[in-house]
Amino acid sequence: MAQFGCLMEAYAGPIRRLCGAYASRSADREDLFQDIFLAVWRALPSFRGDSSERTWLYRVAHNVALSWQTRDRRRSSRETALQGNLEPSDIMDLRRLALNQAVAAMSPTDRTLTLLWLEGLSAIEIEEVTGIKSTNVAVRLSRIRKHLSPVEVST
Amino acid sequence: MNHDALRAVWVSHPDAHKENLMTVMNAVLEEDRSACETDRWVRVAAVIAVGLLCPALLWFAAYGRTPLVRGGYSLMAMGTAMVLFAQWLHRTWSRQALPGAADARSELQKLGLAVSRQASLFRTAPIWCAPIFLGAVLIGAWVYQERSVGGGYLLWATVGTAWVVNWMTGFSKARKLTERRSQIESLLSEFDEAR
Repeated sequence: MAQFGCLMEAYAGPIRRLCGAYASRSADREDLFQDIFLAVWRALPSFRGDSSERTWLYRVAHNVALSWQTRDRRRSSRETALQGNLEPSDIMDLRRLALNQAVAAMSPTDRTLTLLWLEGLSAIEIEEVTGIKSTNVAVRLSRIRKHLSPVEVST
Repeated sequence: MNHDALRAVWVSHPDAHKENLMTVMNAVLEEDRSACETDRWVRVAAVIAVGLLCPALLWFAAYGRTPLVRGGYSLMAMGTAMVLFAQWLHRTWSRQALPGAADARSELQKLGLAVSRQASLFRTAPIWCAPIFLGAVLIGAWVYQERSVGGGYLLWATVGTAWVVNWMTGFSKARKLTERRSQIESLLSEFDEAR
Protein backbone atom coordinates (compact mmCIF):
# COMPACT_ATOMS: atom_id res chain seq x y z
CA MET A 1 0.00 0.00 0.00
CA ALA A 2 2.82 2.40 0.93
CA GLN A 3 4.65 1.58 -2.32
CA PHE A 4 1.48 2.23 -4.29
CA GLY A 5 1.01 5.57 -2.55
CA CYS A 6 4.59 6.54 -3.37
CA LEU A 7 4.11 5.56 -7.03
CA MET A 8 0.95 7.66 -7.27
CA GLU A 9 2.67 10.61 -5.67
CA ALA A 10 5.66 10.36 -8.00
CA TYR A 11 3.89 9.67 -11.29
CA ALA A 12 0.52 11.43 -10.99
CA GLY A 13 1.80 14.33 -13.13
CA PRO A 14 3.11 12.28 -16.07
CA ILE A 15 0.04 10.05 -16.01
CA ARG A 16 -2.25 13.10 -16.01
CA ARG A 17 -0.44 14.39 -19.08
CA LEU A 18 -0.75 11.00 -20.78
CA CYS A 19 -4.50 10.98 -20.04
CA GLY A 20 -4.74 14.47 -21.52
CA ALA A 21 -3.28 13.21 -24.78
CA TYR A 22 -5.81 10.38 -25.06
CA ALA A 23 -9.08 11.87 -23.82
CA SER A 24 -10.74 15.20 -24.47
CA ARG A 25 -13.42 15.26 -21.81
CA SER A 26 -12.52 15.81 -18.19
CA ALA A 27 -14.67 12.84 -17.07
CA ASP A 28 -12.89 10.54 -19.55
CA ARG A 29 -9.49 11.75 -18.35
CA GLU A 30 -10.46 11.01 -14.74
CA ASP A 31 -11.73 7.61 -15.82
CA LEU A 32 -8.53 6.76 -17.65
CA PHE A 33 -6.38 8.07 -14.79
CA GLN A 34 -8.21 5.78 -12.40
CA ASP A 35 -8.05 2.81 -14.81
CA ILE A 36 -4.29 3.24 -15.10
CA PHE A 37 -3.70 3.27 -11.37
CA LEU A 38 -6.09 0.35 -10.92
CA ALA A 39 -3.96 -1.63 -13.40
CA VAL A 40 -0.81 -0.48 -11.56
CA TRP A 41 -2.30 -1.63 -8.24
CA ARG A 42 -3.16 -5.04 -9.70
CA ALA A 43 0.21 -5.46 -11.44
CA LEU A 44 2.26 -4.29 -8.47
CA PRO A 45 2.65 -7.73 -6.84
CA SER A 46 4.26 -9.02 -10.06
CA PHE A 47 6.82 -6.19 -10.20
CA ARG A 48 10.15 -7.93 -9.62
CA GLY A 49 12.46 -5.03 -10.30
CA ASP A 50 13.79 -6.47 -13.62
CA SER A 51 13.31 -3.05 -15.16
CA SER A 52 13.26 0.38 -13.55
CA GLU A 53 10.12 1.41 -11.71
CA ARG A 54 9.61 4.21 -14.21
CA THR A 55 9.65 2.05 -17.38
CA TRP A 56 7.50 -0.58 -15.66
CA LEU A 57 4.89 2.03 -14.74
CA TYR A 58 4.93 3.62 -18.20
CA ARG A 59 4.46 0.17 -19.75
CA VAL A 60 1.34 -0.44 -17.67
CA ALA A 61 0.06 3.09 -18.27
CA HIS A 62 0.50 3.04 -22.05
CA ASN A 63 -1.00 -0.45 -22.30
CA VAL A 64 -4.09 0.73 -20.41
CA ALA A 65 -4.33 3.84 -22.60
CA LEU A 66 -4.02 1.86 -25.85
CA SER A 67 -6.57 -0.68 -24.68
CA TRP A 68 -8.87 2.15 -23.53
CA GLN A 69 -8.64 3.72 -26.97
CA THR A 70 -9.97 0.57 -28.64
CA ARG A 71 -13.11 0.42 -26.53
CA ASP A 72 -15.95 1.45 -28.81
CA ARG A 73 -17.82 3.75 -26.40
CA ARG A 74 -14.82 6.06 -26.32
CA ARG A 75 -13.55 5.71 -29.85
CA SER A 76 -14.15 9.33 -30.74
CA SER A 77 -12.05 10.63 -27.84
CA ARG A 78 -8.75 10.77 -29.69
CA GLU A 79 -10.06 12.71 -32.66
CA THR A 80 -11.19 15.58 -30.46
CA ALA A 81 -8.52 15.32 -27.83
CA LEU A 82 -7.87 18.48 -25.92
CA GLN A 83 -9.60 20.87 -28.24
CA GLY A 84 -12.41 22.05 -26.05
CA ASN A 85 -11.30 22.36 -22.48
CA LEU A 86 -8.24 24.55 -22.47
CA GLU A 87 -8.59 28.27 -22.42
CA PRO A 88 -5.19 29.69 -23.16
CA SER A 89 -4.32 32.59 -20.91
CA ASP A 90 -0.63 33.15 -21.60
CA ILE A 91 2.08 32.22 -24.09
CA MET A 92 2.91 29.01 -22.23
CA ASP A 93 -0.72 27.93 -22.47
CA LEU A 94 -0.73 28.65 -26.21
CA ARG A 95 2.38 26.59 -26.72
CA ARG A 96 1.01 23.80 -24.62
CA LEU A 97 -2.28 23.85 -26.53
CA ALA A 98 -0.44 23.70 -29.87
CA LEU A 99 1.75 20.86 -28.60
CA ASN A 100 -1.25 18.98 -27.19
CA GLN A 101 -3.12 19.29 -30.45
CA ALA A 102 -0.11 18.14 -32.46
CA VAL A 103 0.34 15.11 -30.17
CA ALA A 104 -3.38 14.27 -30.17
CA ALA A 105 -3.45 14.32 -33.99
CA MET A 106 -0.60 11.78 -34.29
CA SER A 107 -0.97 8.10 -35.10
CA PRO A 108 -1.08 5.90 -31.97
CA THR A 109 2.50 4.69 -32.40
CA ASP A 110 3.91 8.17 -32.93
CA ARG A 111 1.84 9.49 -30.04
CA THR A 112 3.17 6.78 -27.71
CA LEU A 113 6.77 7.48 -28.75
CA THR A 114 6.30 11.24 -28.46
CA LEU A 115 4.70 11.06 -25.03
CA LEU A 116 7.53 8.90 -23.73
CA TRP A 117 10.14 11.18 -25.27
CA LEU A 118 8.47 14.28 -23.84
CA GLU A 119 8.56 12.65 -20.41
CA GLY A 120 12.32 12.30 -20.80
CA LEU A 121 12.75 8.58 -21.52
CA SER A 122 15.78 7.49 -23.55
CA ALA A 123 15.47 5.45 -26.78
CA ILE A 124 16.49 2.30 -24.86
CA GLU A 125 13.81 2.92 -22.24
CA ILE A 126 11.24 3.58 -24.97
CA GLU A 127 12.18 0.23 -26.52
CA GLU A 128 11.48 -1.42 -23.16
CA VAL A 129 8.06 0.20 -22.99
CA THR A 130 6.90 -0.24 -26.59
CA GLY A 131 8.83 -3.20 -27.98
CA ILE A 132 10.06 -1.02 -30.91
CA LYS A 133 13.82 -1.27 -31.47
CA SER A 134 15.77 1.69 -30.08
CA THR A 135 17.39 2.43 -33.46
CA ASN A 136 13.95 2.68 -35.06
CA VAL A 137 12.74 4.74 -32.10
CA ALA A 138 15.55 7.24 -32.73
CA VAL A 139 14.77 7.48 -36.45
CA ARG A 140 11.08 7.89 -35.84
CA LEU A 141 11.59 10.47 -33.10
CA SER A 142 13.79 12.57 -35.32
CA ARG A 143 10.99 12.60 -37.92
CA ILE A 144 8.45 13.45 -35.20
CA ARG A 145 10.59 16.34 -33.95
CA LYS A 146 10.63 17.75 -37.48
CA HIS A 147 6.88 17.35 -37.55
CA LEU A 148 6.65 19.26 -34.26
CA SER A 149 8.66 22.24 -35.53
CA PRO A 150 5.50 24.03 -36.78
CA VAL A 151 4.45 24.10 -33.13
CA GLU A 152 7.33 26.49 -32.56
CA VAL A 153 6.34 28.62 -35.53
CA SER A 154 2.71 28.80 -34.44
CA THR A 155 3.66 30.16 -31.04
CA MET B 1 11.98 26.33 -29.40
CA ASN B 2 14.52 23.54 -28.80
CA HIS B 3 13.72 20.03 -27.60
CA ASP B 4 14.22 20.87 -23.94
CA ALA B 5 11.86 23.80 -24.35
CA LEU B 6 9.24 21.47 -25.84
CA ARG B 7 9.61 19.22 -22.81
CA ALA B 8 9.33 22.22 -20.47
CA VAL B 9 6.10 23.22 -22.20
CA TRP B 10 4.84 19.67 -21.93
CA VAL B 11 5.51 19.25 -18.21
CA SER B 12 3.86 22.58 -17.42
CA HIS B 13 0.50 20.89 -18.08
CA PRO B 14 -2.02 22.34 -15.61
CA ASP B 15 -3.73 18.99 -14.99
CA ALA B 16 -0.57 17.75 -13.32
CA HIS B 17 -1.11 19.80 -10.21
CA LYS B 18 -4.78 19.59 -9.45
CA GLU B 19 -5.49 16.10 -8.17
CA ASN B 20 -6.52 14.93 -4.80
CA LEU B 21 -4.47 11.75 -4.75
CA MET B 22 -6.04 10.34 -1.60
CA THR B 23 -9.49 10.41 -3.24
CA VAL B 24 -8.20 8.71 -6.38
CA MET B 25 -6.36 6.10 -4.33
CA ASN B 26 -9.48 5.31 -2.31
CA ALA B 27 -11.52 5.08 -5.52
CA VAL B 28 -8.97 2.67 -7.04
CA LEU B 29 -8.95 0.43 -3.96
CA GLU B 30 -12.75 0.52 -3.79
CA GLU B 31 -13.05 -0.45 -7.47
CA ASP B 32 -10.63 -3.32 -6.97
CA ARG B 33 -12.51 -4.50 -3.89
CA SER B 34 -15.84 -4.31 -5.72
CA ALA B 35 -14.42 -6.26 -8.71
CA CYS B 36 -13.19 -8.98 -6.30
CA GLU B 37 -16.62 -9.05 -4.64
CA THR B 38 -18.37 -9.45 -8.02
CA ASP B 39 -15.96 -12.24 -8.92
CA ARG B 40 -16.75 -14.00 -5.66
CA TRP B 41 -20.51 -13.77 -6.26
CA VAL B 42 -20.15 -15.16 -9.78
CA ARG B 43 -18.24 -18.12 -8.35
CA VAL B 44 -20.90 -18.63 -5.66
CA ALA B 45 -23.66 -18.55 -8.33
CA ALA B 46 -21.73 -21.09 -10.42
CA VAL B 47 -21.32 -23.38 -7.41
CA ILE B 48 -25.04 -23.10 -6.62
CA ALA B 49 -25.90 -23.91 -10.24
CA VAL B 50 -23.59 -26.91 -10.27
CA GLY B 51 -24.57 -28.03 -6.78
CA LEU B 52 -28.35 -27.66 -7.04
CA LEU B 53 -29.54 -27.19 -10.62
CA CYS B 54 -27.47 -29.88 -12.33
CA PRO B 55 -28.33 -32.67 -9.82
CA ALA B 56 -32.03 -31.74 -10.02
CA LEU B 57 -31.95 -31.83 -13.82
CA LEU B 58 -30.05 -35.12 -13.77
CA TRP B 59 -32.56 -36.60 -11.32
CA PHE B 60 -35.41 -35.73 -13.69
CA ALA B 61 -33.35 -37.04 -16.60
CA ALA B 62 -33.05 -40.39 -14.83
CA TYR B 63 -36.53 -40.70 -13.27
CA GLY B 64 -38.74 -38.54 -15.54
CA ARG B 65 -42.22 -39.88 -16.42
CA THR B 66 -41.68 -40.41 -20.15
CA PRO B 67 -38.74 -40.60 -22.58
CA LEU B 68 -39.65 -37.08 -23.77
CA VAL B 69 -39.29 -35.66 -20.25
CA ARG B 70 -36.11 -37.61 -19.57
CA GLY B 71 -34.61 -36.53 -22.89
CA GLY B 72 -35.62 -32.90 -22.25
CA TYR B 73 -34.04 -32.74 -18.81
CA SER B 74 -30.89 -34.57 -20.00
CA LEU B 75 -30.41 -31.92 -22.69
CA MET B 76 -31.03 -29.12 -20.19
CA ALA B 77 -28.47 -30.58 -17.76
CA MET B 78 -25.93 -30.83 -20.57
CA GLY B 79 -26.73 -27.28 -21.70
CA THR B 80 -26.35 -25.88 -18.17
CA ALA B 81 -22.92 -27.50 -17.90
CA MET B 82 -21.95 -26.02 -21.28
CA VAL B 83 -23.16 -22.54 -20.30
CA LEU B 84 -21.16 -22.69 -17.07
CA PHE B 85 -18.07 -23.80 -18.99
CA ALA B 86 -18.57 -20.95 -21.50
CA GLN B 87 -18.95 -18.50 -18.61
CA TRP B 88 -15.69 -19.77 -17.11
CA LEU B 89 -13.94 -19.39 -20.52
CA HIS B 90 -15.28 -15.85 -20.88
CA ARG B 91 -14.02 -14.81 -17.44
CA THR B 92 -10.62 -16.39 -18.10
CA TRP B 93 -10.24 -14.51 -21.40
CA SER B 94 -11.48 -11.29 -19.79
CA ARG B 95 -8.74 -11.59 -17.17
CA GLN B 96 -6.19 -12.27 -19.93
CA ALA B 97 -7.34 -9.12 -21.71
CA LEU B 98 -6.52 -6.90 -18.72
CA PRO B 99 -3.55 -4.66 -19.49
CA GLY B 100 -0.32 -5.88 -17.90
CA ALA B 101 3.30 -4.83 -17.70
CA ALA B 102 4.67 -6.41 -20.91
CA ASP B 103 5.74 -4.18 -23.81
CA ALA B 104 2.97 -2.54 -25.85
CA ARG B 105 3.31 -4.89 -28.86
CA SER B 106 3.05 -8.05 -26.76
CA GLU B 107 0.12 -6.60 -24.83
CA LEU B 108 -1.73 -5.71 -28.03
CA GLN B 109 -1.17 -9.26 -29.36
CA LYS B 110 -2.50 -10.73 -26.11
CA LEU B 111 -5.47 -8.36 -26.08
CA GLY B 112 -6.29 -9.10 -29.75
CA LEU B 113 -6.26 -12.84 -29.12
CA ALA B 114 -8.47 -12.59 -26.03
CA VAL B 115 -10.97 -10.30 -27.78
CA SER B 116 -11.06 -12.56 -30.84
CA ARG B 117 -11.80 -15.61 -28.65
CA GLN B 118 -14.54 -13.74 -26.81
CA ALA B 119 -16.10 -12.70 -30.13
CA SER B 120 -16.16 -16.35 -31.29
CA LEU B 121 -17.71 -17.40 -28.00
CA PHE B 122 -20.54 -14.86 -28.34
CA ARG B 123 -21.05 -15.65 -32.03
CA THR B 124 -21.55 -19.32 -31.23
CA ALA B 125 -23.78 -18.66 -28.19
CA PRO B 126 -26.95 -20.01 -29.90
CA ILE B 127 -25.12 -23.30 -30.55
CA TRP B 128 -23.77 -23.91 -27.06
CA CYS B 129 -27.04 -22.75 -25.49
CA ALA B 130 -29.00 -25.00 -27.89
CA PRO B 131 -29.25 -28.05 -25.56
CA ILE B 132 -31.13 -25.97 -22.98
CA PHE B 133 -33.60 -24.69 -25.57
CA LEU B 134 -34.01 -28.09 -27.25
CA GLY B 135 -34.58 -29.67 -23.84
CA ALA B 136 -37.29 -27.10 -23.13
CA VAL B 137 -38.83 -27.83 -26.57
CA LEU B 138 -39.05 -31.54 -25.64
CA ILE B 139 -40.68 -30.64 -22.33
CA GLY B 140 -43.08 -28.48 -24.36
CA ALA B 141 -43.88 -31.50 -26.54
CA TRP B 142 -44.70 -33.52 -23.42
CA VAL B 143 -46.94 -30.69 -22.12
CA TYR B 144 -48.66 -30.55 -25.54
CA GLN B 145 -49.30 -34.33 -25.56
CA GLU B 146 -50.10 -34.96 -21.94
CA ARG B 147 -51.38 -31.74 -20.39
CA SER B 148 -52.68 -28.93 -22.60
CA VAL B 149 -52.25 -27.86 -26.20
CA GLY B 150 -52.21 -24.17 -25.21
CA GLY B 151 -49.55 -24.80 -22.55
CA GLY B 152 -47.38 -26.57 -25.12
CA TYR B 153 -47.69 -23.73 -27.62
CA LEU B 154 -46.97 -21.17 -24.87
CA LEU B 155 -43.80 -22.99 -23.82
CA TRP B 156 -42.61 -23.33 -27.44
CA ALA B 157 -43.26 -19.64 -28.08
CA THR B 158 -41.33 -18.68 -24.94
CA VAL B 159 -38.41 -20.93 -25.87
CA GLY B 160 -38.36 -19.62 -29.44
CA THR B 161 -38.35 -16.01 -28.26
CA ALA B 162 -35.60 -16.69 -25.72
CA TRP B 163 -33.48 -18.41 -28.40
CA VAL B 164 -33.90 -15.50 -30.82
CA VAL B 165 -33.02 -12.98 -28.06
CA ASN B 166 -29.99 -15.11 -27.15
CA TRP B 167 -28.90 -15.21 -30.81
CA MET B 168 -29.36 -11.46 -31.29
CA THR B 169 -27.55 -10.52 -28.07
CA GLY B 170 -24.65 -12.86 -28.85
CA PHE B 171 -24.43 -11.57 -32.42
CA SER B 172 -24.47 -7.92 -31.31
CA LYS B 173 -21.75 -8.47 -28.69
CA ALA B 174 -19.67 -10.46 -31.20
CA ARG B 175 -19.97 -7.62 -33.73
CA LYS B 176 -18.74 -5.04 -31.19
CA LEU B 177 -15.85 -7.27 -30.17
CA THR B 178 -14.94 -7.90 -33.80
CA GLU B 179 -14.85 -4.14 -34.42
CA ARG B 180 -12.61 -3.72 -31.38
CA ARG B 181 -10.39 -6.53 -32.61
CA SER B 182 -9.95 -4.85 -35.99
CA GLN B 183 -8.94 -1.65 -34.18
CA ILE B 184 -6.43 -3.60 -32.11
CA GLU B 185 -5.07 -5.24 -35.26
CA SER B 186 -4.62 -1.91 -36.99
CA LEU B 187 -2.76 -0.61 -33.90
CA LEU B 188 -0.66 -3.74 -33.86
CA SER B 189 0.23 -3.47 -37.54
CA GLU B 190 1.34 0.11 -36.92
CA PHE B 191 3.59 -1.06 -34.09
CA ASP B 192 4.91 -3.89 -36.30
CA GLU B 193 5.73 -1.43 -39.07
CA ALA B 194 7.55 0.84 -36.63
CA ARG B 195 9.48 -2.10 -35.23
